[in-house]
This record gives sequence, C-alpha cells and structure tokens, in this order.
Amino acid sequence: MFEVPGLGDLNVAATLPVTSLVLGTCILLIVDLFVPTDRKHITAWLAALGIGVLLVLALLALGEITEFGDGEEAFSGMFVADAFTDMINVIALITALLGVMVAYNYLERTGIQRGEYYVLLLFATAGVMFMGAAGDLVVVFVALELLSIPLYILSGFRRPQEASEESALKYFLLGAFASGFLVYGIALIYGATGTTNLHDIWQAAGDIVAGHKSGRFLLLGGAGLALVGLGFKVAAVPFHMWTPDVYQGAPTPVVAYMSVAAKAGGFAAMARVLASGLSNFALDPGEAAVWQDTVWLLAILTMLLGNVVAIVQTDLKRLLAYSSIAHAGYILIAVAAAGTAAVADEAVQSVAIYLMAYALTNVGAFAVIVAVERDDATNTGLDSMRGLANARPWLAAAMALFMFSLTGIPLTAGFVGKWFVFKAALAADLIPAAVVGVVTSLVSAFYYLRIVWLMYFEESEVEVSTPWPLAWAIGVASVGTLLLGMLPYILTDMVREITLAFGG
Amino acid sequence: MEITVEAIVFLVFSAITLGGALQVVLTRNLFHAALYLMLSLFGVAGLFVLLTAPFLAGAQVVIYIGAITILIIFAIMLTPQVTRVLKVHHTQWPVALALAALLFVGLVWTQTPLADELGADGWSADFTVEDPADVPADSLTDLGKSLVDPERYMLPFEAASLLLMAALIGAVLLVNRPDDNPDAEAAPAAGARPDQSG
Amino acid sequence: MTLNEWIFVGLFLMAGWMLPVVPLLLGYWLAPRRPNPVKKQIYECGVQTVGSAWVQFRAQYYVFALVFVAFDVELVFLFPWALAYNKLGLFALFEMAVFILLLVVALVYTWRKGALEWS
Repeated sequence: MFEVPGLGDLNVAATLPVTSLVLGTCILLIVDLFVPTDRKHITAWLAALGIGVLLVLALLALGEITEFGDGEEAFSGMFVADAFTDMINVIALITALLGVMVAYNYLERTGIQRGEYYVLLLFATAGVMFMGAAGDLVVVFVALELLSIPLYILSGFRRPQEASEESALKYFLLGAFASGFLVYGIALIYGATGTTNLHDIWQAAGDIVAGHKSGRFLLLGGAGLALVGLGFKVAAVPFHMWTPDVYQGAPTPVVAYMSVAAKAGGFAAMARVLASGLSNFALDPGEAAVWQDTVWLLAILTMLLGNVVAIVQTDLKRLLAYSSIAHAGYILIAVAAAGTAAVADEAVQSVAIYLMAYALTNVGAFAVIVAVERDDATNTGLDSMRGLANARPWLAAAMALFMFSLTGIPLTAGFVGKWFVFKAALAADLIPAAVVGVVTSLVSAFYYLRIVWLMYFEESEVEVSTPWPLAWAIGVASVGTLLLGMLPYILTDMVREITLAFGG
Repeated sequence: MEITVEAIVFLVFSAITLGGALQVVLTRNLFHAALYLMLSLFGVAGLFVLLTAPFLAGAQVVIYIGAITILIIFAIMLTPQVTRVLKVHHTQWPVALALAALLFVGLVWTQTPLADELGADGWSADFTVEDPADVPADSLTDLGKSLVDPERYMLPFEAASLLLMAALIGAVLLVNRPDDNPDAEAAPAAGARPDQSG
Repeated sequence: MTLNEWIFVGLFLMAGWMLPVVPLLLGYWLAPRRPNPVKKQIYECGVQTVGSAWVQFRAQYYVFALVFVAFDVELVFLFPWALAYNKLGLFALFEMAVFILLLVVALVYTWRKGALEWS
C-alpha cells in the first residue's frame, strides 16, 4: 500500500493551466450537446472565453506575477512547469484563440458549423501544452497523440468534400506511421537507459558516454528514431511529404491553427527530448551532442527544399505549406545549436522566440486567405491577392506585414526570430547552417514579396469577406507582429528565464 | 548452445509471427491478409508470454486480435468490392527488401554488443555478468499500482483517457453523420445480405 | 506466472483448437462419399442460400466497432487496476473515477449524437 499523497506533494497546482483547459473542454463538450445547431456561436464564445482566461493566467505566470504551485516539478518529474512551459502555454493559447476567431465565420458560411470543432481545437491545444511540459517520454508520446488525433479529425472537417477527406487520410496514415517511429525510438532509449524520465535519461546518458558503454549505439538508434517521429510533426525534410497536400486540402482555419500548433508542439518536444534529456549524449565526453550534426544537416535540407519549391507554387495554401517547411528549417538550426552545451540556453530561447513570432505571423497570413477564400474552397490561388490593396487597403497592409515578417525584414517579429536563431547558430559554430539560412531567406523574399507586388501593383476585381472576429484576429496578429518586431525586448524578456539543460 | 524448451517455444512463436506477417504482405486477398495479421499478432502475444509479460500478452489478444483486426475486417467488408483480388504489379520490392535487410543488420549491430556486455549466451539467455532484476511474480499487480501511482504514471494514464475521448469524438464525427444523406450508405447492402437467422 | 504455468494455457488452446477440428476430421475420414447435386449445396438450416457470402457491410457496423475499440482499451487499463485494488488507497479509486468519468463524457456524447441508434 503506498502512501496516499496530498495534492500538495504532487504539486497539482503547477499543472493548473493545462488541467483546467482539459476540464473546461470536457464541460464544453457536454454543454455543446445541448446547444441547438443554429446557435453554435455560444460554443465558440465559451471556448474563446475559456482560452482568454487561461491566456491571462499563462501570461501572468510567464511574467512571474503569479506562480502556480511551488517548484518546477509536478507528479514526480512527469510534468515540468518551468519558464519554457509557461512560454509554450502562451504560444499555444494565443494560437488557439486566434484559431477560434478565424474559424467561426468560415465554419458558418461553409455550412460546417459544429461544436466539435472548438472542442477538438482545445484538445489539440492541451496536447501542445502537455508537450511543452513533458518531463517523461511517456508524456511526450501521449501528448503528441493528444495533439495529432484532433488535428487529423479537423483536417477532415469539411467531409464529404473530397480534398478535405484526402487531406485527413493522408495526414492520419503518415502521422500514425511517424508516431510508430517515435514509439520505437522511445523503446530503444528506454532499453539503453532503463528509464523514460528525461532527467534520469540525462544521468544515464552521462554514464554511458563516460564509460564508453555499448548502450550508446542503442541510445543513438533511439534518438534517431525519435528525431524522425518528431521531424515528421514539424514537417522537416525529408519527412515533409504530407505537408503541401494536407495544408491544401484541409479547411483553411484548421491549417491556420495546425501549421503553428503542430510546430509549437513538435519543437517543444524536440527541445525537451534533445536539448534536455539527451543534451550530454556525445560519442566522446565533452564534445557537442551527437545529434547536432544530423539536425543541422536536416535544417539545411529543409530550408533549401522549402524555399526553392515554394517559388513555383501558384496556390497560396500550398505556397505557405512550403514556407512552413522552410521555417521548420530555421527553427531546426536553433535546435542543432542547442547541442553545444555552452550555447544551449541561448539556442532554446531562440526556439521559443521564433515560435512566438511565427505563431502570430502565420496565423495572420492564413487568416487573410480565409478572408478571400470562397465558400466552395476556391479562390486560394495567387491571383486572389491581385489588386487587394485598392479594394481593402488595411487587409492588404496586414498581409504585406505578414509577408515581410515571414521573409524576416527588420521591424517585424520574423526578423527578431531569425536574428536570434542565426546568432545562436554562429555561437555554436554552425556556420554553414547560418549561411544557408541567410541565403534562403533572400530566396524566400522572391515569393513572399511577389504576393505584396500582386496586391499593390496589379489590378483585379476582389471579393473579400471580413466579419469582425476574423478582422480582429488579423488585427491582433498584425499588431503583435509589428510590436514584437519593433520592441524585441518584449520577446527577450519573455524567454530570459528559459534554461533546459540539466544541472551544469 | 543448448536447445531449451524456451528456445523451442520461442522458435515456434517467431515462426508464427514472421510467417503470418509475410502472408499479410504476400496474399492478394485483403480479407485473408487481415486473418493472417491476426495470426501474426497471436505469435507476438506468445512472445510476450515468453518474456514473462502476461499483461502485454493479454492486452495483445484483447486489443489487437479482439478489437483492431475486427475493425480492419469491418473496414474491408465496408468496401464495395470485398473479394476483388488485386493484381498488383509492384516493382519496388527489391528496394523494400534491401531496406528491411539494412534495418535488420542495423538492429543486430546495435543490440549484439549490448547483449554481449550483459553476458547473454545463446538461446538460454543466461545473463552472467549483470543479472537483470527478477520479474516479480505479481507483475500485473505492480503494473496496476504504477498506473495509478501519482509518483509514476498517473498523469499519462489520465491523459490517455482524454486521447480515447478525442478518438471517440472523431469516430462519431467522421463515420456517423446522420444529417448528410443516410440512404446513400445503407442502400447497396440492403438487397444482398443473406438470411442470417439460420 | 512462470512459464510452466502457461502450459495450462497452451493445453487449453490446444483443446479449444481440437474441439472443432477433430469432428471435422472424423467426418472426413469416416463418412461414406456419394455426392449428388443436392447434397453438395451449401448447408444453411435447410434454407436456400441467397447470393454470395462476400457482402458489403453497412457503414454503421464500423461506428460500433470504433466505439468498442475505445472501451476495449479502457477495459485493459481497468484490469491491472482491479487486480491491485486491495493494495491501493482511496486515491486510486478517485483516479479511476476520473478516468472513467472522462470516458463517460465521451459515451454521453456518442449517445446524444445518435451514434448508438441502429437506423
């Protein structure tokens, strides 16, 4: 018989943001059953309200104004509530809030207004938050599934529209396959270290490296397979095949949410597993982590392929899909940099900065596509941007801002993200990756700025619908993008406390 | 290298697992493939028994054989042409074979030194150097305890229930949509069903 | 359970396997064989068979199967908990209550959405 622990011992309070989100979601699911079909705005409002409240709490926690629970561990190390957790919470909740706002009218006018949309979106958000807080590989896996399964369903939300169904099926089959890789990787890591707890893995890895034990091959295999599984979720080359098709076929508000949430979750887990649990796993003691070379090579491939293929795209959603692949590459550079112990903190902080900048910018860009998209899911081509500036100057200005930010032009959030990522890369001596990063950023200017050109220097009839929730979402995203770009110290303040590497 | 009872049982179950898996890939009838999958999974359950993991063996039978393959069979029976035997001309099997071989060699290469380090010897797997801890007699009870032990797996355990919930919502949402023409899916089966009262 | 105890499980499986196979084999060996068209028909309680056995199922079976899988997994989780029940405190009961409650929410959802109705 084990001791009955008090709730205080478990530090349940530390998990408050995510547990209350889960609880609220369950309640919302039941409430939604009694909301009549023509009044689903109630569900949307409740969801937005819940996210809003939690976002305020998460921001307070991030700003260290309030503290949930005491200490950084809950459930004996299963759940980690540190500065990184707070940051991922904020990113996840902002994305979710914008996701609800972008989706509401779209669902209405395309006739797929269902309460489940919001419930599933909240489940996925809980998955992201669990991933950011995972202190154990089992939690990483369960959280990854909690993120993925709702996203598979949401991709197919426009059933029986064929493109949406195809997108859901492709995402599901490939995603399930990738989860298999992750589980196999976890099994091998467990085989090598005898534990799934990240801190214990870190200790065991230290022993294995110091003692030159043969378990390091097993650990190497495990780390490699886990990298494949997580690389799929963040759409890193060569595990990116699903991205363009899924992004093109899935309902646009879902893509707006998914493109950010899946990346935030995937990179949070990658940071926890690689930069935290396996940070000292080198083939020889004192060297940079063994996964560093692999990760920066992946980063270079990802940036090259994403940016080059994006140039020839004619569909906006597909273009942004390749753009999202490219951005995964930039974040991967930072992850690779975390393999050098001396810059580990700086690198992980730049991951968080980039994710925050990317969240606002990318949701905003997709929100503009939602505005121009017709009810039958057409008009998402590049042509739909033609002449937008004349008809809707503010919308065009916002889109231009998002494009500048995705390119990484100064005074936008995207620039700040790239700046810190490249800085970390240089500090970790990953010069080739940084050079490729800068060059591909220049390449990316071509296709991002072409959109700006189409909006401002070409003429065409435009039909746009921006009901107020969508307009507000675009407004919030653009103000955020601009503000973080002009006052970068807001971001650096947010991430200042983040440190993932275990005790010195 | 002596042949023990364990070794024989291991070989039998491995043969069942691998043979079943091979047939899944080779057979051209999708329905038969599902049945072979069942056989293969049964072999895996046997291997779990050998590893003194009775819970995993039971879960394998209850979930994989009892539920997942049934689901697969239903999915196959839902398709309009259940018996259409596919004539697939595949040209990629040498690549697949090479990859599988590579994976196999890689796994053996990583595991062998580890087994050597532990002092494993032949079939009997007598660990001479570092004895792994004995599997406790009531490992099932221990598993039950650690699942709900807040110090161990309570958090992922509860999260798993959320996962099931999300999956259920998805199942209901994507499969059962009474509001978009219910006749369409029921119609083709109606006339063809044989009398099942017999 | 040690491996020796599994011998009984193995014997049980063997017996279960033999139960249908032995009568079939006995019939095959002992029965005289004088076929005619009527005898060679497929036997179905004396009723004429209609169509092929390879029919397309209704999609609704699938929903039931999916719901079944979810609750099957729950059952697998419940089993070790139930075995350890005597050694666990009140807290474990509370935890399992949460676990089941979450799935009850899912069940209520399924039920209200009419997925359990046979239409």
